[in-house]
Amino acid sequence: MAPRDTGVIHDIGYRNYDGARLGRSYLVRSLFVQSLRGAYGLGRPARSKVMPALLLAAITFPALIIVVVTMVTGSQELPLAYTDYVPYTFYIVAVFLAAQAPQLISHDLRFRTVPLYFSRPINAADYVIAKYGALAAALFALMAMPLLVMYVGAMLTELPFWAQTRGVAKGLTGAVLFAVLLAGLGAVIASATPRRGFGVAAIIAVIMVSYTVVSAVQGISVETDHVKVATLADLFSPFNLANAVQLWIFDIEVNPLFDEVPTADGGQGLLFVAMYLACVAGSVAFLLMRYRKASAR
Amino acid sequence: MSTITVERTSRWFGNVVAVNDVSMTIAPGVTGLLGPNGAGKSTLIHMMAGFLSPSAGSVTLDGERVWHNEDVYRRIGLVPERESMYDFLTGGQFVLANAQLHGLPDAGAAAGRALATVEMDFAADRRIETYSKGMRQRVKMAAALVHDPAVLLLDEPFNGMDPRQRLQLMALIRRMGDEGRTVLFSSHILEEVEQVASHIEVVVAGRHAASGDFRAIRRLMIDRPHVFLLRSSDDRRLAAALIADPSTASVELDARERALRVHAVDFPRFVVRLPLLAAEHGLRLYEVHPSDESLESVFSYLVAS
Amino acid sequence: MNTTIASITWRAMVGRRRAGLLIALPLVLLVLAVTLRLTGVADTESAGVVLGAFALGTLVPLLGLIIGTGVIAPEIDDGSVVYLLAKPISRHTIVLTKLAVAVACVVVFAVVPTLVAGLVMTGDERGLALAYAVGTLVGGVAYCALFLLLGVLTKHAVVVGLLYALLWETLIGGYVPGARTLSIQQWAVSVTGAVAQDGAVATDVSLAVALPLLAVVIVGGTLLAGHRLRSLTLAGDD
Repeated sequence: MAPRDTGVIHDIGYRNYDGARLGRSYLVRSLFVQSLRGAYGLGRPARSKVMPALLLAAITFPALIIVVVTMVTGSQELPLAYTDYVPYTFYIVAVFLAAQAPQLISHDLRFRTVPLYFSRPINAADYVIAKYGALAAALFALMAMPLLVMYVGAMLTELPFWAQTRGVAKGLTGAVLFAVLLAGLGAVIASATPRRGFGVAAIIAVIMVSYTVVSAVQGISVETDHVKVATLADLFSPFNLANAVQLWIFDIEVNPLFDEVPTADGGQGLLFVAMYLACVAGSVAFLLMRYRKASAR
Repeated sequence: MSTITVERTSRWFGNVVAVNDVSMTIAPGVTGLLGPNGAGKSTLIHMMAGFLSPSAGSVTLDGERVWHNEDVYRRIGLVPERESMYDFLTGGQFVLANAQLHGLPDAGAAAGRALATVEMDFAADRRIETYSKGMRQRVKMAAALVHDPAVLLLDEPFNGMDPRQRLQLMALIRRMGDEGRTVLFSSHILEEVEQVASHIEVVVAGRHAASGDFRAIRRLMIDRPHVFLLRSSDDRRLAAALIADPSTASVELDARERALRVHAVDFPRFVVRLPLLAAEHGLRLYEVHPSDESLESVFSYLVAS
Repeated sequence: MNTTIASITWRAMVGRRRAGLLIALPLVLLVLAVTLRLTGVADTESAGVVLGAFALGTLVPLLGLIIGTGVIAPEIDDGSVVYLLAKPISRHTIVLTKLAVAVACVVVFAVVPTLVAGLVMTGDERGLALAYAVGTLVGGVAYCALFLLLGVLTKHAVVVGLLYALLWETLIGGYVPGARTLSIQQWAVSVTGAVAQDGAVATDVSLAVALPLLAVVIVGGTLLAGHRLRSLTLAGDD
């Protein structure tokens, strides 16, 4: 028997990875970025880009018109204040939320991939932060786009710099307020059902019903001189609530959602802020609870 | 006598050709549709069941087109692969509903018979959402059998079943075939198919690769040349000994892999001769490894031939 | 009309979570109506606002969306519709039965609450309660037919329906008067205006235009849905 090496085993199977592993923050960041991109259809088949693109175009279109009108009339300020833009176009934001929140959240529940996430060094809190953050960021991007278009247009038409910059800063802050509250609402509703179609309907139902009821109540109370009721009614609809907080913070008098409803004064304003924070905190708490349960499944 | 005839049928989805010019006849008795995953078995079964229209060619049952033909369902029972049923119903209610939808005169009795046939009468009062996978499968079978169809189509019925459930289902399918029904089921596991089906249709990459009695196909698959990778204490001496034996067609020393590659043309003889030759020449066999035993290569051999 | 299909569809519709939403929405309407009545604010003006903007303008499209897609889209989505299709039943029968169940749901969850709310607020002054109930019925049936068709045509029926109801009817219809002629919402308002006493309800589209268009949507949508259901493709996973 000739001396030979004892048999060689070709290791073409599983190879252990002993190299550097990026930490938990990388995981959370990646999930955030992937969800945010997914909300706009990036990294997904072409069909899922149609809706976000359509909505982005729809919400930016009026901004373009505004810029053109300003250029043509040569006026020194925009016909629509930055903080008023979102209240006027909130339908589009609502549709985006209703369409994309289930996309981000119900998918994982439906196809039971949530436990897969939790088998990695990522826990329920991280998952919630990443998803909520991505949804809020997506909404913010949607609302920020037309504001930026208006700002750039204003700069090009040489409108007064500081006034416009202050205005767009207020508008963007307002957009953040809307984004955070709405994302919380959308995420909570979407995580309650694995069926995507039902999630869409539920979100839009909550938003539209609350808005319409509040508007109806405001209309009637203004007619019957119960003006205080009209102001407080804003507490009960997410759009109205975020808008009211925005108006109060920047001390703006006219409520674009309903001209005859006075904006909140000092004391009422604090109530609105409290309600806003309570809603956001409540959303986060609900989501944490929901995903702690899901991770145990 | 119900016969399904698939004639020069193709089906493509955009650029992907799922079924490529397939012709076959499914006669009464149990037929197994065998093929690797992605071969187009499910597509074929859905075309036979009238849920997919052929892009070219025709699929007929006793000469009658299956597509766009609701009446044909009196004679066909389909057991789909997907698990979703009306989960909020009990098993009994579900089968009863199926019986009623067929317009059977005594739906309750038919449902009871069907449930008894699949041995699910004990659990008929529980909701489907509480069922295990095997129980769901059996309820699906009951729903497909309730109208006593002449044709039974089962899409991957053994997926996810444990051995005992598999045996039960096999016995049931064999019984259906013995009753004279035309039963077609799909699988990618040869052993499953050969225990139940008398006739096999093999589909690979959308093409009809082989058809016939399973013993004949098995022999064809066994009698093909096999390629083995061997490592021994002296590969060259082993090579010389093997090539002298008529069961080997060629030997090749692969320097990179430090192994011996052998083409055996007479598999039964080779497997007997190899250890004997090694012992005769005082060689140690460290590794004997068939290098083309995957189902894919078997099937591609069949396609090539 | 097939009773087995009807009973399965009905049970699926009023199952748990969906039923919760279906009950919650008209409940809001009723609570609002009762509150207005109790605070003494209810009159024909406010009733018009509540019934017009809320019941007809928001509740009906929403319920139409949830109900119209809900009677067929989930079944197609998870594949359980195969148990209805693999039967010697005409596809038109299936569609009609599901539409009938949808209409029944609309009556229970939209029409009756609207009638009750109207009566609570105005006691049928100027025929408003009845008029809005009829308008709700007509609009609801049309929405159901349209959204059922969408459910057969596409996997994204709810979102597309949402785009139609919210963007087309409300947003664009608000700015482009021509768009109102092609809006189920406006047709329902026309019918309401016709049933109510003259001048009680402002309408943008004349009845002569609205009625035929309603018929086209309801009949055409149902026929098309049945036709498309025949060609419904249930591809396997292979």
